[in-house]
Amino acid sequence: MAGALRLSGVTRRFGPVTALDEVDFALAPGEIHGLLGENGAGKTTLARVAAGILAPDAGQVEIGGEPLGAGGVGGARALGVSMVHQHFSLVPRFTGFENVALFDAAAWTRRGMGSPGYRERVEARAEELGLEVQLDVPVGRMGVVERQRVEILKALMGETRVLLLDEPTAVLAPQEVEGLFAVLRQVARAGAGIVLVAHKLDEVLAAADRVTVLRRGRWVLTGEAAGVSARELAEAMVGAGVDGGGGGVGGGDAGGPGTVGGGGEDVPKSGGMVGEDAPKVGAAGAEQAPEPRAGDDVEVARLRAVTVSTGGPIPLRGVSMEVRRGEILGIAGVGGNGQRTLAAVLAGMRRPDSGEVQLPEEVGWIPQDRSEEGLVNEFTISENVALAVHGSDDYRQGPWLDWASVGETAAALVRDMDVRADSPATPAGVLSGGNQQKVVTGREFLRSGNLLVAESPTRGLDVKATIAVRARIAALARSGERPPGVVLISADLDEILELSDRIAVMVRGRLIPVPREDHNPTAIGERMLSARGDAAP
Amino acid sequence: MSTRSHALTPALTAATALLATLAVAAALLALGGYPPGDAFAALFRGAFGTWDRFVSFTLVRATPLLLTGLAVALAFKARVWNIGAEGQLHAGALAAVAVAVALPGAPGLLVIPAALLAAAAAGALWASGPAAMKTGMGVGEVITTLLMNFVALFMAQFLVQGPLRESRGVFNQTDEIPPAAHLPDLIPGTRLHLGFLVGLLIAVALWLYLTRTPGGFRLRAVGASPRAAEVSGRFRAQPVVWLAFLASGAVAGLAGGVQVAGVTHRMYEGLSPGWGYTAIAVALLARLNPLAVVVTAIVFGALSAGGGAMQRDAGVPEVWVRGIEALVILAVLTVDRSWQALAGRGSRG
Repeated sequence: MAGALRLSGVTRRFGPVTALDEVDFALAPGEIHGLLGENGAGKTTLARVAAGILAPDAGQVEIGGEPLGAGGVGGARALGVSMVHQHFSLVPRFTGFENVALFDAAAWTRRGMGSPGYRERVEARAEELGLEVQLDVPVGRMGVVERQRVEILKALMGETRVLLLDEPTAVLAPQEVEGLFAVLRQVARAGAGIVLVAHKLDEVLAAADRVTVLRRGRWVLTGEAAGVSARELAEAMVGAGVDGGGGGVGGGDAGGPGTVGGGGEDVPKSGGMVGEDAPKVGAAGAEQAPEPRAGDDVEVARLRAVTVSTGGPIPLRGVSMEVRRGEILGIAGVGGNGQRTLAAVLAGMRRPDSGEVQLPEEVGWIPQDRSEEGLVNEFTISENVALAVHGSDDYRQGPWLDWASVGETAAALVRDMDVRADSPATPAGVLSGGNQQKVVTGREFLRSGNLLVAESPTRGLDVKATIAVRARIAALARSGERPPGVVLISADLDEILELSDRIAVMVRGRLIPVPREDHNPTAIGERMLSARGDAAP
Repeated sequence: MSTRSHALTPALTAATALLATLAVAAALLALGGYPPGDAFAALFRGAFGTWDRFVSFTLVRATPLLLTGLAVALAFKARVWNIGAEGQLHAGALAAVAVAVALPGAPGLLVIPAALLAAAAAGALWASGPAAMKTGMGVGEVITTLLMNFVALFMAQFLVQGPLRESRGVFNQTDEIPPAAHLPDLIPGTRLHLGFLVGLLIAVALWLYLTRTPGGFRLRAVGASPRAAEVSGRFRAQPVVWLAFLASGAVAGLAGGVQVAGVTHRMYEGLSPGWGYTAIAVALLARLNPLAVVVTAIVFGALSAGGGAMQRDAGVPEVWVRGIEALVILAVLTVDRSWQALAGRGSRG
């Protein structure tokens, strides 16, 4: 029997980056195939190649035994491939029905939309799939779950052999994930093969029949979901032991975190990003979280019963926390549980509706979205550094901004953070993601005399850059006589466990502390995935 | 890791765009039955043929384009799409005339600054409505500033036909402003007035502001990415938008004041042949760089000064010059984009 989808030796490059390196992949009809890997491993690229969106540089794509060739998206669709993207492609003003019909040739007659009987077919299909879709509500007024259902229905209206879903669970709360999986099983029973792109192990193991792991663009393993443990998969994803004081992520790959450091101690204007005493980051694993040092417990920030309920979709509900010098407070949680709001409050950018906030005057904040929020892409590195220092008297001469001093600071940052750029005059937009993040990180260190808020600081970075950024954040919290406190907000449990001294989990706007004995993936994962937050103290 | 720049240098872009324009214009002129060589020669002679043609025609006509071009460049730099320089110019011209006429016996040292300040204030006031709508309600300024142009034009029409009509009552124009309010000549024996110098000084000041001061840096940051400016710069974008909007309106208003005080000495219908719109081309061709605006304003001033000569000497209707101006805008946009597309191919597919 011909497979639903087969990729043989597929290679795809983006400039200097090889996103897929001779990858083989096979999908059988009726199976749910989990595609796992860290950010940047090539999962999405693989899905987009299969969907005909990207043409492979080398290798072959076959759908139901027929080569896709240069057919592109149209060719893939004609062969029965549909893709649900991570970012939905729906018209907000159109109703659910209109969105489904818009991309389906069967809905159209010569005169426009409204092929007779089409509406009934859409309803029948939705019922058959067990998808509750609000067909007459404009998509703009729907919640994320409802939108996703529209996307899935849209993808499944035609003859579907292969359904590709890119990170479909990323936007869902844990209890909503099960509903999605029920639909997917229904679709698979009807004979379609499903590729489920994800980076959350437990979810994939719960839904998939087989799993394939990619790491840095290469195929690593494929196996029966029932036959592999979460730990094996995690190791395959990161390429090393994930717990125990092993080599850390991708051990040895980037020269190790020992290369950090080398800045001066109290030189505010030029360098001094991190101190000399950078610890081995990989070693600061779950079991080896350092004891708080004597004299460390100087509070730099305190929130008491902070509530934010207006002006954003995810509220904060009675969040209390304090941050002390020299510690890293890890805040884990599935994205979209109020972490963004919390970061904005800690950075002093968001005033809570109620509760008490004590913050240092200046706070370093590595925002989640480096290209939209962390950097002005058309500005040079120097100008991006100036975003942090242009208000300071140290960088002024009379009414003028002292670009020479800004340039020195930027040059020191480029050196200390090991940014691969020709000079501080290089526009930030042409840097790779990892180097961009190093610029943001280095710049925010300038503001982090007392407190640093790091929001998903390694999201989308390759392994090397991930190690570098984590090492510097860890080193910052151990630097000098009066190190700052660090709040690390991340959906990446490995990152949280690797770096944090204390851990809390954010669920539905509440912050749940995790006692030290529970600093392990299972215990934290349980809190992240199952707790509703309402039961929290 | 690639640090290759995908953009032409601004000067090269502008030069390429101008050459492309000339090529297309030549082809069109030939198609229309006019020898392009003769037409261009006449245009060039009209603009640069003699010292007096250059100073008294090209530079004089460049002056309102310089000021409105700077106004547009400043606004666009902050991502404020002020299409309303035309209306702000009219508001400024009316205010300058009203002040000058209201101070008949005053010395020039008093009345000239008063009239020009009034012009700037009126321009800012004219921009404040769209600014308030943009910052307060999120109403797009492209529409509001554009519509305010019509309000200003009709208001000017009404005023010169009625309340401000000249005492003789012959033409639809205001009384002449007192001689003390006339801008002095910049170069004796020519018609070039002090307004050109004002424009040069503002160009330099704006350039220094944008490149050398913290405030100008904030303005550029807001223009490049308002979200990054707020998150990473930790300042609110809204006051910056207000400032850019009002300052842009003030400079455009000043253009109107300078024109009536320096050239026409009165206000009448059709004072501006659309400088506020040509200003957009002036600013874009200069890539929003205030110093480059000086050059591009002179280029457009030369087109305007040479257009008359082209009609007279080569028989090419002056409307062709408007077409050439439009071609310049198209050329700037396409040259820039196609170069980026060419350079971008290969590294990203």
